[in-house]
Amino acid sequence: MPDSSKDADFDRIFLPHMDAAYNLARWLVRDDHDAQDVVQDAYLRALRFAGGFRGGDPRAWILAIVRNTAFTWLKRNRGSNSPAEFDESMHHGGIVDAGLEADAVRSADAAMIREALDELSEEFREVIVMRDIEGLSYKEIADAADLPIGTVMSRLARARNKLALSIKGRVTREST
Amino acid sequence: MNCDDARILLHGHLDGELDVVRDLEVERHLEGCPNCAREFATLRAMRTRLRDETFRFEAPAELKEKIRRALPQAPPRADGYASRRRGLVPRAIQFAIPLAIGAMLALFIAPGALRPNQNDLVAREVVASHVRSMMSSHLMDVASTDQHTVKPWFNGKLDFSPPVTDFAKDGFPLVGGRLDYIDDRPVAALVYQHGKHVINVFMWPSSSTTTSAERIQPEQGYNVEQLMVAGMNCWVVSDLNQPELKVFAELIRAHG
Repeated sequence: MPDSSKDADFDRIFLPHMDAAYNLARWLVRDDHDAQDVVQDAYLRALRFAGGFRGGDPRAWILAIVRNTAFTWLKRNRGSNSPAEFDESMHHGGIVDAGLEADAVRSADAAMIREALDELSEEFREVIVMRDIEGLSYKEIADAADLPIGTVMSRLARARNKLALSIKGRVTREST
Repeated sequence: MNCDDARILLHGHLDGELDVVRDLEVERHLEGCPNCAREFATLRAMRTRLRDETFRFEAPAELKEKIRRALPQAPPRADGYASRRRGLVPRAIQFAIPLAIGAMLALFIAPGALRPNQNDLVAREVVASHVRSMMSSHLMDVASTDQHTVKPWFNGKLDFSPPVTDFAKDGFPLVGGRLDYIDDRPVAALVYQHGKHVINVFMWPSSSTTTSAERIQPEQGYNVEQLMVAGMNCWVVSDLNQPELKVFAELIRAHG
């Protein structure tokens, strides 16, 4: 059992990132109650594995545990694909659309954007949440999402292009 | 820069994650390409929207309290929240809860979940290094097709001398070498070419004499071969197809 000074360190290092942890969990499992369960599990796991934290970025470290816990939870409860089974090539293409307009994105309701984001696969949703909502660097995303750093940008590219298309589709349907 | 490359690199540009040279290239491309410029404007508008606080969920107060209570008791602190926690649950149980839940979780979670095996880690590192070498225009420290130039270049830079052979006659010309850093140590990186494909070969001395029996899975579209050459741990990475990369790996093994 860690001594009490280590526990104090754990509090000091990881408790400030609880909002980030909850935000990621909430976007991944899409339910307040379930997200709370995931974050709580993740923090208890983090405490158990705190010895494995060798400095570096505590937010990326705790988010890595949150997303692993969330994916395990999703698999058990919703039969969702585990990240290892995620086939990126299936999601390739459809990027090029000359009709993507910044105006559509600017005029979209927040609800439309939220729906569009909710509809992305978890693997795409998590990189957008980490980068655009949570503000993580590519290196931190690579650590948190367990991706080679060379993949972060290409996955973000696909995720954002899908999201932009989806938002634009919603705006177009709304206005007709 | 063509539009296919730009469409990916736009994102690094938007996120401030490109090196200066790439960043300028993207900027120049955007100036001359209305389609990519429009896509970039859309991406920037979308990021502005997503940064709005409305999309960020804040942890509910009850959750924060629950987690603080579940953590082992820390010494009292000036900010007072530790004292708030005290007395809510008997101390013995405060320790017991996380232990019990931890033990339960340990049954659910595969032991490897948090710690991938060493080979996977190295495979990931060599692929990341390969990608980085292509992206950052830092492919070579010494550019030479002459093995008698490349091999001595490593002298004094490494505490070992990697075998360097030019396989031009077999269709895999040596194009150069550089220093790299893998598995917490400096390693030799040899760069070969096959057609338009670049192959990185990473070498460092190994204490073990056998390679892992596991086949290295392709990582993100890159193929990886691992072998032992003259007591060196040797990793070969490329976007070249797997059978051809295997042929190349066998050449290295035969000449090691």
